[in-house]
Amino acid sequence: MASATHPTVPPQRAAAPTTGSRVRSGRRIADKVLIVASTIATGIGIVVLGSILLMLIVEGVKGFSPLLFTEPTPGPGSEGGGIANAILGSLVLTLIGIVIATPIGVLAGTYLAEYGRNSKLADIIRFLNDILLSAPSILIGLFVYTLMVKPMGSYSGWAGGVALAIIATPVIVRTTEDMLRLVPSTLREAGAALGAPPSIVIKAITWRAASAGIVTGIILALARIAGETAPLLFTALNNNSWFSANLMGGIPNLPVMIYQFALSPYPNWQQLAWAGALLITVTILALSIVARFVIKSDRAR
Amino acid sequence: MSAEPAIQAAQLTGRHKADENAPIRIAVKDLNFYYGNFHGLKSVNLNFHDRQVTALIGPSGCGKSTLLRTFNRIYSLYPEQRAEGEIMLDGRNILDPKIDLNELRSKIGMVFQKPTPFPMSIYDNVAFGLRLYERLSKADLDIRVEESLRKAALWDEAKDKLKQSGMGLSGGQQQRLCIARTVAQRPEVILFDEPTSALDPISTGRIEELIEQLRSEFTIVIVTHNMQQAARISQFTAFMYLGELVEFGPTTRIFMNPEKRQTQDYITGRFG
Amino acid sequence: MAALTEQIAMARSSGDAPARKTPGGLGDTIFRVASYASALLVLLFLAGILASIAYGGWPAFREFGPGFITSSAWNIGQEQYGAFVAIIGTVASAFLALIIGVPLSLGIAIYLTQLCPGWARKPVSMTIELLASVPSIIYGMWGLFIFAPLFAQFVQIPVSNVVEGMPIVGTLFYARVPSGVGILTAGIILAIMIVPFVASITRDMLDQIPTVLRESAYGIGCTTWEVVRHVLVPQASVSIIGAIMLGLGRALGETMAVTFVIGNANRLSASIFDPGSTIASRIANEFNEADGMQLNALMALGCILFVVTFIVLIIARLLVRRVKVA
Repeated sequence: MASATHPTVPPQRAAAPTTGSRVRSGRRIADKVLIVASTIATGIGIVVLGSILLMLIVEGVKGFSPLLFTEPTPGPGSEGGGIANAILGSLVLTLIGIVIATPIGVLAGTYLAEYGRNSKLADIIRFLNDILLSAPSILIGLFVYTLMVKPMGSYSGWAGGVALAIIATPVIVRTTEDMLRLVPSTLREAGAALGAPPSIVIKAITWRAASAGIVTGIILALARIAGETAPLLFTALNNNSWFSANLMGGIPNLPVMIYQFALSPYPNWQQLAWAGALLITVTILALSIVARFVIKSDRAR
Repeated sequence: MSAEPAIQAAQLTGRHKADENAPIRIAVKDLNFYYGNFHGLKSVNLNFHDRQVTALIGPSGCGKSTLLRTFNRIYSLYPEQRAEGEIMLDGRNILDPKIDLNELRSKIGMVFQKPTPFPMSIYDNVAFGLRLYERLSKADLDIRVEESLRKAALWDEAKDKLKQSGMGLSGGQQQRLCIARTVAQRPEVILFDEPTSALDPISTGRIEELIEQLRSEFTIVIVTHNMQQAARISQFTAFMYLGELVEFGPTTRIFMNPEKRQTQDYITGRFG
Repeated sequence: MAALTEQIAMARSSGDAPARKTPGGLGDTIFRVASYASALLVLLFLAGILASIAYGGWPAFREFGPGFITSSAWNIGQEQYGAFVAIIGTVASAFLALIIGVPLSLGIAIYLTQLCPGWARKPVSMTIELLASVPSIIYGMWGLFIFAPLFAQFVQIPVSNVVEGMPIVGTLFYARVPSGVGILTAGIILAIMIVPFVASITRDMLDQIPTVLRESAYGIGCTTWEVVRHVLVPQASVSIIGAIMLGLGRALGETMAVTFVIGNANRLSASIFDPGSTIASRIANEFNEADGMQLNALMALGCILFVVTFIVLIIARLLVRRVKVA
């Protein structure tokens, strides 16, 4: 149109239509479709998380009462009850898991990042650790069943704790290694230049420099194992009463309790399952968010 | 392309008088260094005099840092790097595989290009090396920490915040903290690897003054990119090029009257 | 003269400096050995998993031979076991999960990297990542109690009514009992579960592509679609495929969520609306009450699952080198 009103200007690209854009409609449609589709995809993600939280809050709050934290889980067909034994059992199992996994994971991550930098073995371990990180957790349950439950002749909290530890370890190994690798090598050199042997350089300097990241890894591992159900099915199982201090026999725990009670025909069991589900999800989401803030506050420093 | 010397005679007076009769602290004989297959140092022979500042100069990649890093064998943190030849210190060849590296490094301090404060308090930073090698009472430790911080000209700024993290200091202060940490161990030799290249001019000036003061107690080797700096603070200068030692001598002579053409070209700014 | 001064250098003792002793000689060794041993323990875990299920499953493999994989029998009374139904269920649900989950994940990754306004990026990506930390049992409950009834009412029943009697689709999409649970439901729940992993890895990969490349593409007048299709996706394709394989590995081995929504049927059905079972769900359901050959058969199922996921995960990890912890 510009060329029409200004005849002195030679018409440019006479072939191009004077109306409409140079973008063919097919291109525009493809672009629109992409934008709409990817926005919808993101919307679906948000809606699903929202609906999960909504479901948990609506159903879980109905079952909330102080009795939850004082009463043990009820037997089949009996009234009332709480989930106090399952909460305590879950705490104990998770604690055993993280207490075993933390030293192994941190030390193994340290080996990969510090001692084994250039070794073939470290490459193999690193690779297989990544595999273990995503290995089906039910297989870990089968392993610990064969390793501990069968020889000991009974389900136990120890077996459950070990199964959780095996799940937590690769998470800690991975984050520890990644975080140690972020520590500048000049810091290690400075430590070594003062005559500190490698173990002291690692313990006093590199671990400290990477501490926020390592703690984040441990919290993430905690979040991961707190909700694990499958490996507990064959190791700690579950129980509708308090457990003895030696942790032998079935140990009540939230995930297996939720699994069994949610699929049960008893309304009070289902109520308790919802309450437990709300509790465990809120805990895990809180841990995941805390982990983010630990690392963020460290970066800001 | 001026042929005039970059360093004027006026800059090379007084304290720059090299003591060529000072005893030799480190004697390097036929030193070769390899990064994997790359030949980083080619049969270097060089002596470092006691309580003198020796500057290693030369263009990037000439091997000056490599040479410095052989004196405390810090390179041996990296398995693909190796040195051959002889570096004599206190009557022993420090390249001997049987040598105790940690002990060696406690006797040879090193200050790096970028400040490397450890993630701990100022006090703990300085006490770090002391706690490794000496069993000191709390009171003695306090004294040594103060003494070291004073020697590093950091005491006045740091005395009220000894418990705060060393990472909170400014760049120049961090570098002086690293010097204090090194001095605290009472080493025999202090190696400086371009200690001011990450600092502003004022901090640089303070570090240079500090090095001049430290000379009364320690043998100092400094790698620097900056020829003016070498001229200002050193008694001896070694010019290196492509992994070889081209020329070594008193700083005044190297800058005023170099024997080799390459040295002349470098200090007059024709290359590098 | 030089020789003389060298003599001095050699003769000079350490003087006033006290003799120094190296600290922690033994402690240093212990620490190194401990970290080495811990690293080896990681290997041992993996070897232990394989060894224990291979050992447990061996009697079943010996008894049934290769027929174990191809047989669809699962008869506890007659001690006849075959893995076929569970394998098909596993593969079908994981395959459906990919078909549904991959486009969703790519869409989210593209939204986050190309379209999302700056202020919303952080909260939206955090929401998606939080989906990854929700325990699988919660997905199971959501799938069974919230999703399945809606799915039955709004998808299974209408679709079944439409396709009834048609060839092929009439079998594939016909629900005999429209309860909402089944292979497709499991696939959908699995899809939702793998989305946060695949999406966040893909997002990281797209973020790593230099901005210059993006800008030069936009600079010659490309639309978002063209930039994504011709510039970003080809650049990151290998990693994206790796991320998808990683998601596949998860989908194959996921247990609890699937156990809730797959219906746990032992028969083979041609309809994706019908209940089925996966390897993991069958182990979860039967293991505690099993003994004898049934136990061995379940271990053998575990063995098959291990081998399959192991291969998938190895391929995935080779494709996605060192992405951040999912």
